Amino acid sequence: MSYEAIALTMFGGMLVMLLTGQRVFAAIGFISATAALFLYGTGAIEMPFNAAFKLFNWYPMLTLPMFIYMGYILSETGIADDLYGMFHVWFGPVRGGLAIGTIGLMVVISAMNGLSVAGMAIGATIALPEMLRRNYDKVMITGVVQAGSSLGILVPPSVVLVLYGMIARQPVGRLWLAGILPGFMMAGLFILYIVIRCWLQPHLAPTVSKEELKMPLGEKLKLARAGIIPFLIFFFMTGLFIMGITSLVESSAVGASAATVAALAKRRLTKEVMEETLRQTLGVTCMFMWIILAALCFGAVFDGIGAVKAIESLFITKWSLTPVQVLIMMQLSYIVMGMFLDDTAMLVIVAPLYVPLIVSLGFDAIWYGVLYTITCQIAYMTPPFGYNLFLMRAMAPDEITLPDIYNSIVPFVLVMTLALILIMVFPQIALWLPNLVYVKG
Amino acid sequence: MPKAIVYYVKWVDYISTKLGRFTMYTIFLMIAVLLLGAITRNIINMPLSWTVEMAQFIITGYYIIGGAYSMQLEDHVRMDLLYERYSTKTKAKIDVATNIFLVIYLVTLLIGSISSTMYAIEYGQRKFSEWNPSMIPIKVIMVFGIFLMLLQSISTFFKDLATARGIKIS
Repeated sequence: MSYEAIALTMFGGMLVMLLTGQRVFAAIGFISATAALFLYGTGAIEMPFNAAFKLFNWYPMLTLPMFIYMGYILSETGIADDLYGMFHVWFGPVRGGLAIGTIGLMVVISAMNGLSVAGMAIGATIALPEMLRRNYDKVMITGVVQAGSSLGILVPPSVVLVLYGMIARQPVGRLWLAGILPGFMMAGLFILYIVIRCWLQPHLAPTVSKEELKMPLGEKLKLARAGIIPFLIFFFMTGLFIMGITSLVESSAVGASAATVAALAKRRLTKEVMEETLRQTLGVTCMFMWIILAALCFGAVFDGIGAVKAIESLFITKWSLTPVQVLIMMQLSYIVMGMFLDDTAMLVIVAPLYVPLIVSLGFDAIWYGVLYTITCQIAYMTPPFGYNLFLMRAMAPDEITLPDIYNSIVPFVLVMTLALILIMVFPQIALWLPNLVYVKG
Repeated sequence: MPKAIVYYVKWVDYISTKLGRFTMYTIFLMIAVLLLGAITRNIINMPLSWTVEMAQFIITGYYIIGGAYSMQLEDHVRMDLLYERYSTKTKAKIDVATNIFLVIYLVTLLIGSISSTMYAIEYGQRKFSEWNPSMIPIKVIMVFGIFLMLLQSISTFFKDLATARGIKIS
């Protein structure tokens, strides 16, 4: 059996296993364990554990439970409600203002958390019902929440960039800095899309009546206080890390404590909230970690059959692609695979194959990390397999149906693809900030 | 269902729940240890070399021991493109068939972890660092956690079997 055939059989087998609806980690783990036994004989029986043990040494993954914990604290304690109130009053008078405000809210939440779960939970439970009540078009706003919350993995802090940093052996600090401008640019593009769309089709977003928003300036400014907590959390976590005062994992622990203190100060940290937060944190962390454990074995088997060399020879020798074409092929393959495979598993399996090739072609690994993350954002949203889709289905109000959710993402995926192309053409968008900060020392 | 199976399911679920709920709280331990490291280094200028490694040990125990409880609560994602369209009974029938793959993976993981632990014990393996801690405890914890996960997946298998046959367990 040739190596290409082995690789294809493994991917095919995994796809079939996944389609049966068995747990993702079990499907990936089974395929890799049997492939190891088949390829290397009974001596390979230890391979699944030895590959999985790598995760023990990936200590930056400590940030994962911290961010999940923070996300649940922030969404369960209603800190986000106040923020939403602020954006609501400030952007309310503009056409489509609540949708624009929701994107703003999502950027703020993204700056406090490294995953898209928090933004999703807050968007689906606070922003969505509010906008529905005001007769905003449900398909549009569903897309707004999904696209906005996906910024969580691009704007620092970001767990996806931490994971990428470990695989590509790149400093997380630079990766996070590189994510800032692309994150803001993408938020800007989302807002631009909303403005244009609402200008062309005003019925999609009725304006909020003046009376409702009438409020003395003093009151309006008071609302801005809601922004203090997120700012402090951002400063304590990402700020201290970028300044080099705390290490990456320490920063995430500082962030988790800051969120807990904020919840305590607001007297919203009830027993129920704590129970829900702790239970969900354990559940979501275990889900991700067990997928990574299994994916590491898959990756080890792939590595064993020399997949890096195989892909390189396929792209460069057989298809004689130029470096840019190789890059485009990689992004396309991510999006296609992202539809069928679990996104975390994909990063652990595919990134080790692609990153060496990217570096040998002379591209910047930091820049590629940003491109990768945006592709991941797209994969999170595209059916049939996307975490944001799962969460949306679980959290959205009943009147939002599955076809609504599927239809809602189309324009936003196009906007994100545009952002991806812009950053591919102008790498400075990602690289300007990390170069600036690190040159100065 | 035979009585022995009912007992098995009841006990395994009970143990996973208890241990999982205990593990759930160790996140506070991780936070505390990491904060301790940050504070002692920055404020009283006394860097501790062991805090991050300690947190590393705790998180490994967290997701390995917590795995069984999270499986009991069905926290592990599935690709539900086709799966979500089936009835509860059909889902259970499919799971009865595919759970065998879950068990096979966990068995290989268990064998690997045992042999890795034997190695650690035989050679007194230590983590290569300033703190230089022994690797034996964490490996023993991993063997135990994986074993618990295996017990839990067998319990899940029995529960799926009961659902598929339209009977209630317990």
